Amino acid sequence: MTLIFNNIVAIFRKELQGYFKSSLAYIIAGVFWFSVCAFSVAEVRTWIELKAAGHMVDVPQESLKSFLSVMFWIVIFIVPSLSMGLYAEERRHRTLELLATSPITNWAVAVGKLLALWTLFITMMLPVGILEVVFLSYADPPMAPGVFVVGHLGLFLLAATISSLGLFISSIADSSFLAIILTYALIFILFWLFVLGEQWGEPWETLFSQMSFFKHYATLTQGVLDMSSVVSFASYILLGLFLTAQSIDLLRFQRR
Amino acid sequence: MIEVEHLSKVYGSTTALQDVTFEAQPGEILGLLGPNGAGKTTTMRILAGYLPATRGTARVAGYEVHDQPMAVRQRIGYLPEVPPLYPHMTVEGYLHFVGRIKGVSAGDRAQQVQWALEQCNLLEVQKSLIYKLSKGFRQRVGIAQAIVHNPPAIILDEPTIGLDPRQIIDIRNLIKTLAQDKTVILSTHILPEVSMTCQRVAIINYGKVVATSTLADLKAQQPDQLTYELELQGTSEKIEHGLQTLDGVLTWRWLTTPHPDRRKVRVICHPDTTIGHQLTHHLVHANVAVYEMRRLGTSLEEIYLELTTQEADIPSEIEADEPDHSVTAPPPANSEPPTQKDNPSIDEAEDTR
Repeated sequence: MTLIFNNIVAIFRKELQGYFKSSLAYIIAGVFWFSVCAFSVAEVRTWIELKAAGHMVDVPQESLKSFLSVMFWIVIFIVPSLSMGLYAEERRHRTLELLATSPITNWAVAVGKLLALWTLFITMMLPVGILEVVFLSYADPPMAPGVFVVGHLGLFLLAATISSLGLFISSIADSSFLAIILTYALIFILFWLFVLGEQWGEPWETLFSQMSFFKHYATLTQGVLDMSSVVSFASYILLGLFLTAQSIDLLRFQRR
Repeated sequence: MIEVEHLSKVYGSTTALQDVTFEAQPGEILGLLGPNGAGKTTTMRILAGYLPATRGTARVAGYEVHDQPMAVRQRIGYLPEVPPLYPHMTVEGYLHFVGRIKGVSAGDRAQQVQWALEQCNLLEVQKSLIYKLSKGFRQRVGIAQAIVHNPPAIILDEPTIGLDPRQIIDIRNLIKTLAQDKTVILSTHILPEVSMTCQRVAIINYGKVVATSTLADLKAQQPDQLTYELELQGTSEKIEHGLQTLDGVLTWRWLTTPHPDRRKVRVICHPDTTIGHQLTHHLVHANVAVYEMRRLGTSLEEIYLELTTQEADIPSEIEADEPDHSVTAPPPANSEPPTQKDNPSIDEAEDTR
């Protein structure tokens, strides 16, 4: 057990150091901060203008909701660009053979990589989070902390889910470019299924909406701590890890 | 230390390995020799726990690679054909990472990394980023990652490929140093590599081990014939007479010589220990002056070519080698003999020697 933990930490450290040494990660972080700030300020301004125009608007509450819905699109745009190289780069440098001949399981490698990406995302969110806390501490009417916490839990679960799916795609794609394209394609298909379910009616609507992390994200961002949504996200994360471990194991059977 | 028994590997309809058996002891360097695509890399990947075998067993330090893969991976150091390096890491950082995933305890890690750096002469570049290193240094970093956890068995796939002669010598010396208390298996298709580095050799061809032996034994197993090359002065009749009257002589062939008044002949004899003495005695008595006499050893190239040549090619070579000295006409002293064209295999062997 200690060995597995040490292995996960080794991979986690290597990946995280890799991100901090990579200029691409800084560019992505720059784009992330710029888009988060630009969209959020625009949203908050809209709500303040609406209130000033005499509408009954809970500006902090509505601003948080708008912020999290903007974050949804930013996350599904940014995270695949960070996950694309997780395995594709290992393939490129032929280092999968090193990992596969070391006393480390495919699961430990996958978990270490996922945790590193997730940690990077949380690190990127830290400055944004400080701004949010400062902004919301002056909120009138004051905001319930639960709504804030549950909403952000949804955001972090969404980031972990996209990371996990991106991790799997990276493990099957030959290049980083292919990995990012396929990850966007997979997210698009999942989104499209959700829309299609609504058009087809029952039982597809229930089935696809339960499968859809879009619906679960919406539930959490409204401040509702629905355990089925949390379990659904956790299932996606585990599925991504499982498929990654399996696809890496399968690689060994291919003639290369 | 490393025991491979009846190992087979089938990819779909292709058989990459067929009933491969060999073993290597501690302190020994075993060379896996064979043409490209013979199955060397497949064998090594199975031993390193990367590939599962279709049939057979492979044990490293008493652990079976399929049943106890983690135990084997802890006890084996593996350098693939392309060193598995992270270009944006420093040499030291990379070795620390490999130490961690190989299960080296935190207390020993710094010492182990230092040892690997010293062994591979990497101290001067330990803080350098790997992508800035030359090919020779990268290869050494590759070997360092294979030994950083101090494994009892080391597997090196083509460790000197693409290096310049100076670097090749360095790597060979490094491998010899490592083998003092470890088992080393290295693969190569470069013959001098084996004769200079390895004590024993397993020749693989088309997925089968065609020979496993020490180099000396391999040479001893070759067809029992002795070959002498002589540079002589005298008429061809006298020389032929001298050779014909000697029982131990099987055949001979005329070779070219730059000296206009001398003749060069290659004589193939029975493996009689006194044949050299008899040969000179007969020739001198036939009034032929002997300027040079040289016994040709069986080179590794010849053994290798013989063992790795497809069966389909063998009859034509045997035909070409057919001894028939009764029809061999003595050539003019400084011209190429016509019979030499009939026997290309010997000439090829001579060229590669």
